[in-house]
Amino acid sequence: MNTARTMLICDDEEELANELGEYFTSLGWRVELSVTAENAIGHLRRGLAPQVLITDLRIGAVDGRQVVAEARALPEALRPAIIIIITGHVMHNVAAADFDSDFLYVKPVDPNDILDDIAAGLAKRATREG
Amino acid sequence: MILSRNRRSLGLLKIGLVVASVALFLATALVYVSQTRQQAFLTATIRSSGWVAYQAQLEFVKAQAEFAKLSIVPSAQGLHALMLRLEILRSRLPLLYDSDEGRVLSDVVDTRGPTQIFEARLDQIIDDVARLDPEEGAAAEELKALSAELEPLGEALQTILMQSVAYNQEIFRRERALAQRPGATPLLLLFISGACLAAVLILQSRRDRIRLGEIGEAQAALAAVEENLRAVIQAVPACVVVIDPDTDHVSFFNPSAATLVSPSLDDPAWPRFVKAVRGAAGEPETRRWGALSMGYVRSPGDIVSLRGSVGSVLWERRQQQLIVVVDTSRVRNAELQVMQAAKLATLGEMATAIAHELNQPLAVIKMAVANARRLLEPLPGGEPVAAKLERISAQVDRAKRITDQVRRYGRMPTETLLPFSLRHAVELAAGFVAEQFRAANIALSIETSAPSELLVFGEQTMFEQVIVNVLINARDAYEGQDDGEAARLATDRQGEAGDRESGAGDRESGAGDRESGAGDREVRVSIGLEEGRAVVLVQDNAGGVPPEMLERLFEPFATTKSTEKGTGLGLSLARSVIRDMNGTIVAENRGGGACFAINLPTTQANAAQDAA
Repeated sequence: MNTARTMLICDDEEELANELGEYFTSLGWRVELSVTAENAIGHLRRGLAPQVLITDLRIGAVDGRQVVAEARALPEALRPAIIIIITGHVMHNVAAADFDSDFLYVKPVDPNDILDDIAAGLAKRATREG
Repeated sequence: MILSRNRRSLGLLKIGLVVASVALFLATALVYVSQTRQQAFLTATIRSSGWVAYQAQLEFVKAQAEFAKLSIVPSAQGLHALMLRLEILRSRLPLLYDSDEGRVLSDVVDTRGPTQIFEARLDQIIDDVARLDPEEGAAAEELKALSAELEPLGEALQTILMQSVAYNQEIFRRERALAQRPGATPLLLLFISGACLAAVLILQSRRDRIRLGEIGEAQAALAAVEENLRAVIQAVPACVVVIDPDTDHVSFFNPSAATLVSPSLDDPAWPRFVKAVRGAAGEPETRRWGALSMGYVRSPGDIVSLRGSVGSVLWERRQQQLIVVVDTSRVRNAELQVMQAAKLATLGEMATAIAHELNQPLAVIKMAVANARRLLEPLPGGEPVAAKLERISAQVDRAKRITDQVRRYGRMPTETLLPFSLRHAVELAAGFVAEQFRAANIALSIETSAPSELLVFGEQTMFEQVIVNVLINARDAYEGQDDGEAARLATDRQGEAGDRESGAGDRESGAGDRESGAGDREVRVSIGLEEGRAVVLVQDNAGGVPPEMLERLFEPFATTKSTEKGTGLGLSLARSVIRDMNGTIVAENRGGGACFAINLPTTQANAAQDAA
């Protein structure tokens, strides 16, 4: 079972990752930052097991979907409860489901919105499991 | 080759015939002259031959008379005279056969035989007379005997004379007949000569016929070439016009030119066209193709681009000017469209990339603002800073709106056009803005003369966005009046402090605007059907668009709004959407405001056809 209020943030935009990390850290989250996909995948494989995974869609040359796929492939106990994608890409008519994620945001995004969605997502999950 | 040899031999033959004819003619003349001469000579000789016979006869008669005289009274003197007569007679006789005249005569009658018999007898008689003695009595008897002895000569001479006369008469008769009927030889010669001439003429005519045939063939070939050229000129898609350089009168134009200008020469469009070409040509000779590049107004609003040349040409045996032009409007428009499309595609890509790149720092700012706000919260007296943070956050949202618009602008057009109800889409769009309109105290009405099932083809949500955009523009136009007034009030205040004149000017224009905006705010949307196409009109009464702006209203980043409201991409996006639907959108100022007219095809066929 992944640890409550833990988070892995993966974005090559270091400042964005830092700001986002700082935001959730201040709210009591334990946040791990990765600026490369490889690093994030390494964390996941080593059993970091964050409750929430937030990843960019294009991390340098690597597709964020690889990170999502890695996370989805993890055993139940290590798998993140919520996977979020934040992208700066121009997209039309795309949904979070298209990327096998729970939430999809187009930058810039208000972290409060993310927080609200995480809370709602976790609550729904708790209800379903409970 | 064969023809030329034939021609040469014919020529030689002709010359030969001419020479022969001339020679024959001369020969004829010579023959005629010589014959005439000979005849004259012969006639003269024959006449003289008669004379010879006559003389001999005369001398004979004289001698007989002398004999008779002496036989009565013989005398020595008489005898002497008789002897003289007889000797003269004797001398005349040889002349009858041994002279030119006599020889002619001997051809007719035998003069030699009878005469020569009497020559010896006459000599004997002369000797006998010489021996006579006049004193003898027998002398008279002897003379009678001698006279009788001479008598047969008289008969012979008479016969010769008679035959000579008869011959002369016959000759005379023949001459007369000949005089009446020209000689056969000259006639024959003349005939041959004439025949030669006739042959020459026939040959000449044959040669002429051959030459005429050749000329005819050449003419036919020329005519064929001319016909071909004319057909080419007629069929060529370029406009070909020939004008008289002195009068500028049009001498010729082909069907393409007729289509471009006018099918009638009397049309005043022709002088206008020639004048336009003259004006554009500048230099009198612009032979180089494309050197002539001009715009020609066919009718108000119908301007075509023409390209071609003007040059001198020999037309109908006179130096005239040839104008050849091609309507390049389509090419030009297509070029412009391709250029525009390429530009827009590049711009779209660039804008999309910029939007994406901008979103990164915007995202960081947004996060940083959230963190700052959170850090500020426990601190006392942080309200002014919180307000500033609020403004920063709002500005990030605004920037996000811009990038969203840009991203929508840079979107790829949809391939398939789906039918949707025009009226329904317009009503939905109106519904989006109804609340805002109410808030701004603007009356929004939708009038429709088209059936509710009227369909147009495209992407409905995008079309709704267009209507929303146009309506929001109308709403903002009224707010622009308010903002303008506020701005002007501010300027007025500044003007009082500083530049008085400019302040006065602003006040005047401000007063004008206030008057125009004084009426009830009203935006009317009407849906109609014109010539099988759907027309949506959005009319406001907010004073209209500044004329200088009207032209570039649909260009990207053209906006009359304050930077806080507009991105300048709304109408550009609207045009792009309507274009994808194979429609048009135009704007004009009328009825105290702006009027946007959207024209759309109403059938799938039209939409597809227009797209093709």
